[in-house]
Amino acid sequence: MEKKSKLITYDPGEFRRRFNVLIWLMICAFAFLGTKMWYLQAIQGEKLSQRSMNNRIRLQEIKPLRGLILDTNGRILVDNQPSFDISIVPETAKDVKGVIKRLEHLYIERDMKLTNTVTFEKKRKPFVPIKLERNIGRDKVAVVETNTLDLPGVIVDIVPVRKYIYGEIMAHVLGYVGEISTLELERDPNGDRKRGDVVGKLGIEKSINRYLMGKSGGEQIEVNVSGRKLDVLGKVESVPGYNIMLTIDADLQKICWDAFQEKAGSVIVMDPRDGSILAMVNKPSFDPNLFNRGISDGEWSKLLSNPLCPMQNKATSGQYPPGSTFKLIVAAAALEEGLITPDTLIYCDGTFTKGDRTFRCWKKHGHGGVDLYRAIVESCDVYFYNLGAQIGVDTLAEYAKRFGFGSKTGIDIPGEKEGLMPTKKWKLNRFKEPWQVGETISLSIGQGFVMLTPLQLIRAYCALANGGVLYRPRLLKKVTTEKGQIVRMFHPEKLSLLPISKKNLEILTHALWGAVNEDHGTGGALRRNESDVSGKTGTAQVIEMAQDEEDENTKNVPYKYRDHALFVCFAPHDNPEVAVVVIVEHGGHGGSAAAPIARKIIDGYFDLKGTRNILHVAEKRR
Amino acid sequence: MKIDRRLFVNFDWILLVLVLVISCIGLLNLYSISCTLTHISGKPLYIKQFYWMLIGLAMMLAAASIDYHFIVRYGYVIYCISLLLLVSVFIQGTATHGSQRWLFFWGLSFQPSELMKLTAIIALTKYITENKINEGYHIKSLAIPLAIAGVPCLIIAIQPDLGTALFLAILFFSVILFVGVNRKTLVMFATSGIVLAPLCWFFLKDYQRERILTFLNPERDPLGSGYHIIQSIIAVGSGGIFGKGFLKGTQSQLKFLPEQQTDFVFSVFAEEWGFLGAIILMFMFLALILWGLKIARNSKDLAGTLIAFGITVFIFWGVFINVGMILGTLPVVGIPLPFLSYGGSSMVVLMTGVGLLMNVSMRRFMLQP
Repeated sequence: MEKKSKLITYDPGEFRRRFNVLIWLMICAFAFLGTKMWYLQAIQGEKLSQRSMNNRIRLQEIKPLRGLILDTNGRILVDNQPSFDISIVPETAKDVKGVIKRLEHLYIERDMKLTNTVTFEKKRKPFVPIKLERNIGRDKVAVVETNTLDLPGVIVDIVPVRKYIYGEIMAHVLGYVGEISTLELERDPNGDRKRGDVVGKLGIEKSINRYLMGKSGGEQIEVNVSGRKLDVLGKVESVPGYNIMLTIDADLQKICWDAFQEKAGSVIVMDPRDGSILAMVNKPSFDPNLFNRGISDGEWSKLLSNPLCPMQNKATSGQYPPGSTFKLIVAAAALEEGLITPDTLIYCDGTFTKGDRTFRCWKKHGHGGVDLYRAIVESCDVYFYNLGAQIGVDTLAEYAKRFGFGSKTGIDIPGEKEGLMPTKKWKLNRFKEPWQVGETISLSIGQGFVMLTPLQLIRAYCALANGGVLYRPRLLKKVTTEKGQIVRMFHPEKLSLLPISKKNLEILTHALWGAVNEDHGTGGALRRNESDVSGKTGTAQVIEMAQDEEDENTKNVPYKYRDHALFVCFAPHDNPEVAVVVIVEHGGHGGSAAAPIARKIIDGYFDLKGTRNILHVAEKRR
Repeated sequence: MKIDRRLFVNFDWILLVLVLVISCIGLLNLYSISCTLTHISGKPLYIKQFYWMLIGLAMMLAAASIDYHFIVRYGYVIYCISLLLLVSVFIQGTATHGSQRWLFFWGLSFQPSELMKLTAIIALTKYITENKINEGYHIKSLAIPLAIAGVPCLIIAIQPDLGTALFLAILFFSVILFVGVNRKTLVMFATSGIVLAPLCWFFLKDYQRERILTFLNPERDPLGSGYHIIQSIIAVGSGGIFGKGFLKGTQSQLKFLPEQQTDFVFSVFAEEWGFLGAIILMFMFLALILWGLKIARNSKDLAGTLIAFGITVFIFWGVFINVGMILGTLPVVGIPLPFLSYGGSSMVVLMTGVGLLMNVSMRRFMLQP
């Protein structure tokens, strides 16, 4: 009863003051919320409304098709072809691991296996497919397609990949493609490359990647919070990359590949009239199609560990002593310096002595008295020892540099080497030792320190052939749009003129003709009925050895110590339109190892020209 | 039981209308949300909420018709029952979002922690009315009220549902402070709070720490824990003054907003109805709360005042914490917006609470026999 009376006597007055405070507190609290609302909705409204728009509209990239690469006659060298990838959509699959197990089981039943081990990212969205395998064969596509009911969520994607139609025949020229690397991303000058982009990694694919890439398109899509596509609001189609026409002649390239049956080496065919490269073959080679969707580690290390360096473009980055092919440069220097006339006779008894060293001619018993013509035709060493000793290394180097030796030619593909043209100063810097006179003697027959790339060599001979113009070797002819409109033309570039008079050039080229067509000429393998080829053999020593042994026992020398065989030639003599250089690594003598290959290529070139003319005429008549 | 005619005469129609209008706005808002939520099985949310509302109305009338003195007299019994339910969550409870909060019977899910908010108020009322100390509570006399609030607080915190536990504590302190605490005890509470706060940090779960850090800087992890608040602010702000229009909120319709049917309903409302709609809703809440305070003030006895006050601050804190969170001024805690958030337990408990408010209001002129 006492408690109840307490309730009855309750006087609300004591709370009145508190209630007044409370009412104001509540009003203040709501005013505070209202103010914040005003701030967000009225003041920040515009900005936040923009953000809400961005929130639901995303841009999705549409990858462009890469441009095609064509040969000089418009034949496709690199195409795009569909490849098949299989992926799994977790949302549809539900039990992802179980489905993958089933797929593996289906493979095993058919003696195949899943090549990749599938890795799952932790934070993945259920509707984003996970790649299971790339570039699978039709047999596997068949397995997936015929078992779709057992493999929920497994889908086959069609992705364009590069198709290198000529495979390893043109690997070094065309290069290959791959996903952009972190380093390449960092070095990207314009910053418009993205992770996942496919870029050229070697050769033409790399050097003019910017033309081939094309422009990504985009799709404006409305998405919800989980990124799922709800609607397509707008679409910008991708622009395929430009097509590139090369100076390469696919038929000729094939001829060169077939002609070169040796283990390792390089062939270049160039048009002396403008520096266009018609063919460039290296052996051994690799199949660029392997890189399409990522090469396996095993295949990659196999390529890298091969001692014959299949990845190397020997034509532009292989550096070899030029051997006797260098004699023409010595002769040119001697003529221009006025040290000799064509009629100057030098007696060759098989040896040449300078200081305490004796140098020998390749012909043991000597050539007897030789003039310039005979010296080149028979490749007399003693004759050039004499010239070299008179000219001196630095003057010789001066001339050699005018022939383009010791510097890059500027060809359109990356990875080119400079070669080496030694001077006294160079040796002092490099070895801290003075130049020896004997080294000049070796140099005058293209031995010793001097190193050339096959490309430098053929360009120098092209300059001899075309009246003295040094061209920039050219692989690119034009860039066109998909529909054939010309975007850019690449014109021949004259870089410099040889420091040799017309008269002297004629003397030299005549001697080159003799080297092929005279009875004692070293390049007899190239003697054709048309008697139109001029050329020079070269045999480059890899190590110095007693010259007696060299002749008889080539077969007994271990492969890696055998001489490199060189041959460089051009035809027809009067108005040269084709030049060929052949280098056979460790092939032995230039005349016997390299010249026959050049012969096949020259024959092939003129046969091809003949048939094409006939076809052309026939077409005209029709 | 004899029914007094005066009860009908004094029936609080204003309170009923206010609550019904707010609840109907809530239904409309849920309709806008749930017509895109197709993945939830069964009936659409707004239909379910409507049923809950009907149940709530029935409970409201029931709570209004039984004399609140009778209810207060059995305050401890009611309190113990809801405490039992709370504990049974651990036995029967089902974990959603990594915590155990729900009880299921007859196919209905029920959250005892929601009921606890109301029964704790009643139990506190019983204690205070029976142990009124005019010079303010001191630490010894606070032991039992502390236990009344503290025990369920701990249980709920273990579930873990830190938001609700915190809410219960705030409710407790609001009531106690309203009744009066002596200065010494007040200082002690303040200092122990300051000392304990950093200690609590170590007992928090990772996601809870994240939420607090995110509150301090929402852009810290925009796709992770800051996501909720950023998306909510974008939604509210993009509504502008006049709103995007009913069913046209892109943030919510495209599901950028998380938990939009429960804790984030107000973002959807503010996006679609803009500042104008939001402020009108706020005025209605303010009116409801001030009306509740009026009921508390006009009550003829302490029990009525305390029950009315308790339920009013219950609604106030719900609105303030929820809207404050949505506007980015308070950290993300899982407190539903009264009458608008989807949730049967919350709806029924609130309606029952409003029933008690009516109860006090109707009996303001009646003296105990």
